[in-house]
Amino acid sequence: MNKDRSISSEWIERAAKASGWEAALTRRGFLKLSGCALAGLAFLNLGEAYGENAPLVILDSAQGVILADPTRCVACGRCELACTEYNDGRAQPSLARIKIARAVNFGLAGPTGGEAMHGDWGDGLVVQGVCRQCPHPVPCATACPQNAIIADPQTGARVVDAAQCLGCRLCQQACPWGMIAFDEQAGVAAKCTLCHGRPKCVEACPAAALRYVPWRDLSRDGSPTRPTLSVVPPETAKACLDCHVTAGTKSAKEP
Amino acid sequence: MAVSSGGFVGKVLRVDLSTGKITTENTRERYAALLGGAGIGYRVLWDEVPAGTGPFDAANKLVFATGPLVGTSVPCNGRATITTLFPTCWPKPLVGSGHMGGHFAAKLKYAGYDALIVEGKADKPVWLMIRNARVEIRDARHLWGSGIRRTTLAISQELGPDCVVAAIGQAGENLAPMGMVINSVSHSAGGVGGVMGGKNLKAVAVQGSGAVRIAGDKAAWEALVKFHLSILGANNQHVVPSFPTPQAEYYNPASRWVGQPGKRWGAAKPPVELAGNIHDPNSIAFRTNSAVYFLGDEAWKYTVRGNGCTACPIRCHTMLKMPSVTAKYGIPDMGQNTCVALMFGRSFFKQLAGKKNNEAAMEACMVGMHLADDLGLWSNYGQLQRDLRKLYEGGYLKAKLGSKEYASIPWDKYDSADPAFLLDLIPRIANRQGELGDVLSRGTGAIFDHWSIPESAWAKDHTTTYWKMGHPKHHANEDDGQCGVIINTQYNRDAQCHSHTNFVRNGLPLEVQKKLAAAIWGSPDALDAPGDYTPANVHKAQRAKWSLLRKELHDALGVCNWMGPWAASPLRERGYAGDDSLESKFLSLATGQTMDREELDRVAERIFTLHRALTIRDMGRVDMRAAHDIVPPWVFEDPSGKAALTKGTIRMDPADIAKAMDYFYEAMGWDKATGAPSQARYAELGLADVGETLAAAKLTPEAAK
Repeated sequence: MNKDRSISSEWIERAAKASGWEAALTRRGFLKLSGCALAGLAFLNLGEAYGENAPLVILDSAQGVILADPTRCVACGRCELACTEYNDGRAQPSLARIKIARAVNFGLAGPTGGEAMHGDWGDGLVVQGVCRQCPHPVPCATACPQNAIIADPQTGARVVDAAQCLGCRLCQQACPWGMIAFDEQAGVAAKCTLCHGRPKCVEACPAAALRYVPWRDLSRDGSPTRPTLSVVPPETAKACLDCHVTAGTKSAKEP
Repeated sequence: MAVSSGGFVGKVLRVDLSTGKITTENTRERYAALLGGAGIGYRVLWDEVPAGTGPFDAANKLVFATGPLVGTSVPCNGRATITTLFPTCWPKPLVGSGHMGGHFAAKLKYAGYDALIVEGKADKPVWLMIRNARVEIRDARHLWGSGIRRTTLAISQELGPDCVVAAIGQAGENLAPMGMVINSVSHSAGGVGGVMGGKNLKAVAVQGSGAVRIAGDKAAWEALVKFHLSILGANNQHVVPSFPTPQAEYYNPASRWVGQPGKRWGAAKPPVELAGNIHDPNSIAFRTNSAVYFLGDEAWKYTVRGNGCTACPIRCHTMLKMPSVTAKYGIPDMGQNTCVALMFGRSFFKQLAGKKNNEAAMEACMVGMHLADDLGLWSNYGQLQRDLRKLYEGGYLKAKLGSKEYASIPWDKYDSADPAFLLDLIPRIANRQGELGDVLSRGTGAIFDHWSIPESAWAKDHTTTYWKMGHPKHHANEDDGQCGVIINTQYNRDAQCHSHTNFVRNGLPLEVQKKLAAAIWGSPDALDAPGDYTPANVHKAQRAKWSLLRKELHDALGVCNWMGPWAASPLRERGYAGDDSLESKFLSLATGQTMDREELDRVAERIFTLHRALTIRDMGRVDMRAAHDIVPPWVFEDPSGKAALTKGTIRMDPADIAKAMDYFYEAMGWDKATGAPSQARYAELGLADVGETLAAAKLTPEAAK
């Protein structure tokens, strides 16, 4: 059963006000956005008006984000276990929506040897993997052909609607930081939900290496070699063209 | 396959290296009565390894067992117990276990196995690859001769960076009884490395993506974990800080809770300052710094961070960075370990052993860790180091070792306490090079055998802390009077029991401890202050029994007996009480099957009694009291001649210890004359088949008459 995915004017107004969003897009020259244009979009209810059911994935920014300090991480993995035990009733680091195990031994670059190696076998540094709760365009949500990654009404966390998820794993491909887990038992994707504003991982850290702080855009950090959007299904890509117009042209859909 | 319950993941993996056959069996069907850990190990040895088997025979088996709480967020789990015929047990190898933390145990569970049984012997070097249901025996010829670090790196490149490798080094390859297996940099199990080498098994590498299910209510589980965190202290469950602070009613300078606000992990980039409330659950990891506790306050500046096992908030393996050692000794500037293995290098030197805030001592520790944890050489709880000191200082080596070999050893470096001495000595032992290297690689018993030195030369000398059967004391009368002595008589290696010492050394004032003791063991007389002992009594024997059973229980559950039990807590509002039924509460919620403390202690008693049965069977005699439960003469002496059971001495009295043993055997329901269980006692504990076999072999007290 498909939920109504049309864009409410309230949503768009909130999107426009969201911290950093408008500025970031303008700076990158992708799109000239104005409150007027947004209002226009809302008025026309264009999300549905395009007829192809192409979803326009614009999510309000989250309220908070988990900040991880690698210099304090003691590699115990209690965050991963709190995530899955208290949320899913099972201890399963592979399902955790915060990622430690992959970085504990050698750091993210793996068992390369040499001076630059992190982790227990290297310089000791454990760089935690945390969900950035990305601003628009949210890579995982944009990649989802089911539009199953939505903003949690309470916290704004990008969450997987398990009822919509088909288990295609495109979101896993799309996340530049490898933060989408997959619940093999249920056959659906899983990602950080911010635990209704009280993240279990933050509470569980014995070294105060994790903090839950007001959201800021952390999506521009990380590996420069990774594209911001790895996978965009054609359906979604069409919707992007509604706003991301080639310079000097007008959108075909614009009145 | 639908998971029917929690805690256990369901399968025991069995790998026959002789035939290459890989099979699984149902954990609950075969081993439920023994939970896990050494329980599974003892059962496999009882059922499948006949008396008379040697540790390096293909017929010996290696049982890597976790427990139902391993891999969960229960604080201080992550332990694996490796049971086998223990090669350093002298004069005859008997059943024993090595224990390791790190991340191996949890990974094995996530891969879907509660335990791994390795049997047979490969015809060429191999390593075992476990990736969930996929298990393969792979060629390790290219790894043979490599240290543990290189082996781990090479296998991780092949299997993936998130696998955990438990590998042996050169010591294990050379079938050194003193070889050990290591996972996750520094987490070692002594004595079993050579047994792996004997099977041509270089490493076991595990990768797992599965789950350990919690059968009970999620919220109840979360609440219990948080409660447990609230009653945690620091390393060894020391529940008061070592420093005075307005945040705590008591402090005790001997406590391992050294994380004082204002100290810092000086080698972190940037340094991490310790601050705030010491009771904050989000700062538990800062309470313990083993390097500071053992090496002195100076170690703060070399501390990168705490490290340790899966899910443990007490990070007892301190990670150190000491740049000077690279230039001076050509070794990496990073090192990590805890306790005796942290002090591995320092302890060889007369001038450095026990020395704190001494740069040479710290450097010796760095050199020692670097070599021992790569070559895979065990210390036998520091006995290796005490042996070398006694052999050298006592003139034995000069007298017994060939002059050419003696001259080849850089004794001048030893005499000047130069850590560079270790660069010669430790590889010599791991490679079993020359007479000295070979003898030391075989353990203390080999010193007696090879050089015809009477065991009594060690057993009478309190400085050796030698106990019996080739092994030293491990928290005996120096900590816990009769209780410690009883515990140290029971195993075939050093007693790996911490239940007793973790209580008596928890840092609380004696009157508080006695109040707690009355509630748990029925009398405040169940314990004394260390070095101020009163005569033996029933309650001390009860506490010794409780300590041993909790040790076996912790191994079986996969929780750490170096940290538990949690009989006391830092909580003033609880009168500093911990929770003695914590283990049963966790197990009940994890498995979904309620088991109370008494029932669980009965399982532990079954496991412990099976260890007794195996020892009796393999020794081929029933008179354990006389032949096995031995107390060395030094225990009954005092260097300054103080009378036993007076304040200021740990000297014990022979008649009093005899009485203590009587009380203990009675508490166990064993025959007092022999110290052995009757056939009926085996049956009461669910070991009827074991009792029958022993009775038929005239190895029960009544059948032997």
